[in-house]
Amino acid sequence: MVEQRRSGVWGRLPNATQRQYLKTGFIDFIPAMVATAVWAFVTGIAMVKSGLTESIATAMTLMVYAGSAQLTSLPLIESNAPLWLIFAAGFIVNIRFIIFGAALYPFFRHLSFFKRLVLGYITTDMVFVLFMKRYAESKQRSSSEHVWYFLGVVVPGWFTWQAFSLLGIYFGAMISDAWSLEYAAMLALLAILLPLVVNRPLIVCLIVAGAIAWVGQLLPLRLGLVLAVIGGVVAGVVVEQLQNKRKAP
Amino acid sequence: MSEYWQYDWYLLGAVVLLALCSVITRAGYFLFGDHIPLPDSVRRALRYAPVAALIAIIIPELLPWAQGETPVIGIEIVAAAAAVLVYVRTRSTLMVIVSGMLVLWLLQAIFS
Repeated sequence: MVEQRRSGVWGRLPNATQRQYLKTGFIDFIPAMVATAVWAFVTGIAMVKSGLTESIATAMTLMVYAGSAQLTSLPLIESNAPLWLIFAAGFIVNIRFIIFGAALYPFFRHLSFFKRLVLGYITTDMVFVLFMKRYAESKQRSSSEHVWYFLGVVVPGWFTWQAFSLLGIYFGAMISDAWSLEYAAMLALLAILLPLVVNRPLIVCLIVAGAIAWVGQLLPLRLGLVLAVIGGVVAGVVVEQLQNKRKAP
Repeated sequence: MSEYWQYDWYLLGAVVLLALCSVITRAGYFLFGDHIPLPDSVRRALRYAPVAALIAIIIPELLPWAQGETPVIGIEIVAAAAAVLVYVRTRSTLMVIVSGMLVLWLLQAIFS
């Protein structure tokens, strides 16, 4: 019994069925590979072009492993913003992972603390989309199928991201500043932002937060950023409630 | 010399804090899901925060406005506007980056 528990999920090589799930995950991930690679490459370039040394950029990609939070932090680091603000901004941009985690954890609650920590830490947007598409309706939770499928998506995802991010870091360091490649970081953030804005409350949130952020630049301590987030959230929630009221009879 | 030291610690601090962000937001529910309820109202409100934070980071980069000066409208915002239009037409996030860079380079060539 003890032996069986120890050999659990990662204690030994996967058996044939588990390899099958792993493979299914990998095959599902393949179409997303190009996007992951391009994204990682741009993020890598952006980090060195915003003035990070290659070693700090390498540490950042390996430890943080979150493109949007990394890109968000760059203008803040460049302007020497206080660390708490960098933390807060990174946290807010990562909030989507809290929502992903809330949906995913019922599938993995049977695992040990350490395994849940590792699985959670390497969760990506991609695995959330692919996993929920396949298993959201499934009655059975907490089976080894879920774990191996999940690994089949996130492990190649991690390697793809890190390889191309490192490529971007060392390639970016060689490219002349005249190309203004740091601007690609802004565009990458824009490309993360645009698909999120899918309805009217979110459009209003975008406009209100943008306006506050523009005028708020005149305030010290990047207070504009904090006010913009508060204003944007309030505006979004208010418009959503107004919409619901109008829909209700 | 001491300034360099401080700057390195600052960068290292930023990396460690951001790594902490990743662990808390991603693994938080995996680890303590049974103990953290996430009410629907909170979940809905949380949808707006990332959008607000992202635009609040982007705007000062595209439309800088320093204290005691007039607001600047430069080629950065024009290129970004073009990229947004391209996104609306193509729905491709990759095209946002490609078209934005191309327009920026074009404008740089014209105005420099």
